[in-house]
Amino acid sequence: MTDTSRNQKPMSETPEEIEYELRGQIGSIWSGGRLFIGMYTFLLASLAFSYFYLRAANNGLLWRPHNITAPTAYGWTIWGLSLVAAVLVIFGQRRLRSGNVLDWQVAGWVGVACGLVALAAQIWEFTAVPFYPGSSGYASTFIGWSVINIGTLAGATYWLETTLARSHRMRRESGTASPELSSAATARLFRANVASMTYFWGFVAVSGALFLAMFYLL
Amino acid sequence: MTISAERPTKSVASSTSPPSPHQGVSWTQRPGWLSQHMGTAIIAAVLGYAFGHWLGNYVTSGYPYIANSGQNSSANALALIFAVVGWLLGIGALNYPLAKLVGKEADHETSVEGWSKYFRYTLDHKVVGLQYVVGVLLFLFTGGLLAMAIRTELLSPTTHVFGPGTYIEIVSEHGTIMMMMATSIILGPLGNYFVPLMIGSRRMAFPRIEAFSFWIFIAGYGVIFSALPYGGFPTGWTGYAPLQTQAGPGMISYLLGFAVIGLGMMAAGFNIAATIINFRAPGMTWSRVPIFVWAILSTAALLTLATPTLFAAGLFGVLDKTVQTAFYVTEHGGSSYLWENLFWFFGHPEVYIMALPGFGIVAEILPVFTRKPLFAYKVAAAGMIGVALLSFFVWQHHLFQSGINPDMRPLFMLTTELISIPTGFIFLVGMGTLYKAKIRFEVPMLFAMAVFFNFLIGGVTGVFLSDVPVNVTVHGGFFVLSHFHYTIMGGLLFAFMAGLYYWLPKMTGRMMNKKLGQWHFWTMFVFFNLTFFPMFIIGLLGQPRRVFTYAKNLQMLNDFSSISAFLLGFSFLIFFANLMWSMYIKPVKAPANPWDSLGLEWQTANPVPVYNFERIPVIMTDPYHYSEVGAPALADLGVGGSGDRVSSSGKSDK
Repeated sequence: MTDTSRNQKPMSETPEEIEYELRGQIGSIWSGGRLFIGMYTFLLASLAFSYFYLRAANNGLLWRPHNITAPTAYGWTIWGLSLVAAVLVIFGQRRLRSGNVLDWQVAGWVGVACGLVALAAQIWEFTAVPFYPGSSGYASTFIGWSVINIGTLAGATYWLETTLARSHRMRRESGTASPELSSAATARLFRANVASMTYFWGFVAVSGALFLAMFYLL
Repeated sequence: MTISAERPTKSVASSTSPPSPHQGVSWTQRPGWLSQHMGTAIIAAVLGYAFGHWLGNYVTSGYPYIANSGQNSSANALALIFAVVGWLLGIGALNYPLAKLVGKEADHETSVEGWSKYFRYTLDHKVVGLQYVVGVLLFLFTGGLLAMAIRTELLSPTTHVFGPGTYIEIVSEHGTIMMMMATSIILGPLGNYFVPLMIGSRRMAFPRIEAFSFWIFIAGYGVIFSALPYGGFPTGWTGYAPLQTQAGPGMISYLLGFAVIGLGMMAAGFNIAATIINFRAPGMTWSRVPIFVWAILSTAALLTLATPTLFAAGLFGVLDKTVQTAFYVTEHGGSSYLWENLFWFFGHPEVYIMALPGFGIVAEILPVFTRKPLFAYKVAAAGMIGVALLSFFVWQHHLFQSGINPDMRPLFMLTTELISIPTGFIFLVGMGTLYKAKIRFEVPMLFAMAVFFNFLIGGVTGVFLSDVPVNVTVHGGFFVLSHFHYTIMGGLLFAFMAGLYYWLPKMTGRMMNKKLGQWHFWTMFVFFNLTFFPMFIIGLLGQPRRVFTYAKNLQMLNDFSSISAFLLGFSFLIFFANLMWSMYIKPVKAPANPWDSLGLEWQTANPVPVYNFERIPVIMTDPYHYSEVGAPALADLGVGGSGDRVSSSGKSDK
């Protein structure tokens, strides 16, 4: 969500115009983050609709024969790790706001590790599911959820990692202690990006809980 | 905050030492053969295709072969996916996302001059807009040729040009190509080019996402066209299961093609919505936003929220074909109805994704050529929002005859009829603007007027179709076919042409030839109606869609329709001839504001500078105060310190 810069040939700008553009960029990151969540909600809602539609139809009594379920331990592990990552990211952002950049970075990198382990577990789970993809409606929607969740975890972890990498590079480039906290344009854009990314991680954890309940508990 | 009144300027350029031409620019972005452009994208796509095919065969050797085809569906799907990834890598769309992994910010973009910039990944919304013009015309031309093939086959019920299988492949490819094109035909070229200019912005919110939306749109064209060498698909553009499940390898191209185009649609909608929300010039309150921008915003909202469902539906279909899930396979616990529901949950909002920008263009053009304020501006904007909202609640009317619970029919009949109310608002706004007007019948206005005529027929027949009893009689036949051609082609395509004739002088600096434009309009209008109106009768007499033969007594009507269709195709040749003539053979320089429009987009310099406006304008009123004595100036353009003010005559006066 930092794709707002357009570094083309230099032009003449007043300070007011520069500030106006910057506010537009920050606003775009803010509203872009919310639009992205809206978009993702409809994607996940499509999956949820499929789940409940096939469950209600229960064609050929093949919604979930013998009440077979995907490995619950994997489900809890994957969701637990994404929850931990989300909590760390939220905690980190609070620390960043109060000026503790190092805390944010440490929390963020642990979050990246959690995201990557969750991603690996989600992929590895394919080797442990006790059904074939097309054996039932449940099996099909579960595979669909797994594929979407792989994309979600990879995307969210990518967003977190790139934000952290930017933080380190800003430090190297500026040579100052906490460039993330300055009033410079890059820092303000950076903080807006952190806020949107944090919001998305919260969304990942909440939506993950709903699908955990649907696929492993119900 | 003072933005465009007298103010000191700080030149960013002068505050630093003069940069070298390629300072901070990676070699991949520098002009020249070694840089990234469409050529490298094609090479990378071919390599990606080969790699994906090999990978699929390697990973799933001996597993899911498509019955009677000798092909491995996983290999086919992976080949197309890696071809798209290769295409994006080759064009440079993934440079920045990859550089971000190590914390790098965007490279400086070099401004490539000349025609080669149109073959590159560029961040200038105006270049992207023109790229889209060519892109959608490519779709339109291909889909049009397929339509000619369909009408050729229907010249006779007994003498056949194609076999039944080939015929349905042509019909399916025609429908899919046209629907994909139609989702972007206005938002892509005209939305991307003109929204920033109309809201007084110097830029798009997410320029890389905007460029991505175009290049993946072109990749989608390649993917959907790959269905033909794979043997096509027999389902029509709607891709219904269970036929989808039984279809050959071409079906994967359909499913992936829609998913890929869906990504582009989401990206385009996301970027334009964020731009309109955040980059409106100071003073451009929501009640001053041009009506075309309202239409594009409503469309962007639909694209952002409805398209993920299409993406999910396509993904599930690909999973059914490759890893053998059973989303749409009733015998294995899935349901073919699931596809129908997901598809139409996207598909009906898509109708308005196509219609709303057309309404926006017409409403934008009418005041210019009637020299009257837009009648009931707020009603028009509310109508667009109303249509966008209600479009999510009507999808089941496509399933009236599918065996759904009959108790559901009245509800969806009601919601469908309800949506005709806000649509009627927009129609009446147009009529109110035309009332007692002294109309200038320029070419854009002719096309705009035709939209009302065509859409009235398309809309009224739509109300018939929403009635269950009528629907029972005419569904699946030529009546439905004619109805949606009247709304989509008669509404959207005519509106696109209106917009193109209206705005091309701004986009290219050249006027389209008026005489040829009039010939184009009259041939297109007359032969469009002569092609599609008889189809209502053909449909009422019982001819079904997608069948290559028909009852002998319908031949005369079909022949009449076919010959009219060929002449309709000829009208597009007039358009292309006009385009070539006016742009290249005998170009005539366009005046700065050829239609005397009050629109902000006409107040910038010609050609439009890279940053659109020398100073960010301050908006003082809406752009529809035509012929009003003492109307306030539209905007303070802030040029030269004292500020240019645009009067209600459309002229800039200092």
